[in-house]
Amino acid sequence: MDGVITGSGQWSYVAAAYAMTALVSALVLWRSWRAMRTAEARSDALRKEQRGGRLVI
Amino acid sequence: MQSTGPARVAVLDRKSMHAYANPTRFLAIARPLTPWLTGLGLLLILIGCVAGLTMVPGDYKQGETARILYVHVPAAWLGMGGWTSLAIAGLVQLVWRHPLSGIAARAVAVPGMMFTALCLITGSIWGKPTWGTWWEWDGRMTSMLVLLFLYAGFIALTAGEDAQRGGGSLSRGAAIYAVVGAVNIPIINRSVVWWNSLHQGPSITLGGSSIDGALLWPLGLTLLGFSLLFGAIVLMRMRAIIAENRVAARMRRLADEEG
Repeated sequence: MDGVITGSGQWSYVAAAYAMTALVSALVLWRSWRAMRTAEARSDALRKEQRGGRLVI
Repeated sequence: MQSTGPARVAVLDRKSMHAYANPTRFLAIARPLTPWLTGLGLLLILIGCVAGLTMVPGDYKQGETARILYVHVPAAWLGMGGWTSLAIAGLVQLVWRHPLSGIAARAVAVPGMMFTALCLITGSIWGKPTWGTWWEWDGRMTSMLVLLFLYAGFIALTAGEDAQRGGGSLSRGAAIYAVVGAVNIPIINRSVVWWNSLHQGPSITLGGSSIDGALLWPLGLTLLGFSLLFGAIVLMRMRAIIAENRVAARMRRLADEEG
């Protein structure tokens, strides 16, 4: 078939597919983890402040 | 009068389902589960990818590019599985108004879209050396692209709602959108059977697999690993939404007290 790549040239495509997967997965995992930590830290801080009788946002 | 038979079973089922509607009870399970799912998922992905790249032979027809299978198939599975769970959450929201279903649907949308995009990107990278083209407007690729747009539409819709009325439950419109969008899932699944396609036919069915066992086993590892990671990401996003809702609720309460 016209344009089909064989032999060692195929490895660069394999590497690109794995690199894209690693990059995008790591990005979403990191952003989700950070969003969770930030939101939970803010919620915990607010609860503690309210329990202590003073509120600082 | 006490309910009996099927009616009583239905009441019990509803009660057991709503037992986890309490975010505090949900968090008691989600908090310890999140690091375990993340760690185990990453470990399985690592083992599966190393095995797929170094331990299994290349395919007799496609050569080394067949190794893209170990990341492409989990991405496709999670893109489609993500929308299926989003539709189920939408249905639960519509029928039972379960408080966590809307949060779950919102939490699934971004990782679902990310894995759908990854499926399209890795498929395109696989297509170039194998078919000689990056893209073809055939049934499988086009229906997968439609799924990506469906995710984008859902995210935009719920983000607009968030801006108007705060996070939490899903609106009726967004829940219906999630359920109706599920019609695309069987179309993606059957597209290679219904229409002529550059994409290969179904390799793994309920009846067995046309992929040799020597090439197949790392796929089981990456499928399970990415599924666990997907679960961990969804739990993280659900926890973030619950925490944001609690902050918003406290701020409203405080404003009411002061006002």
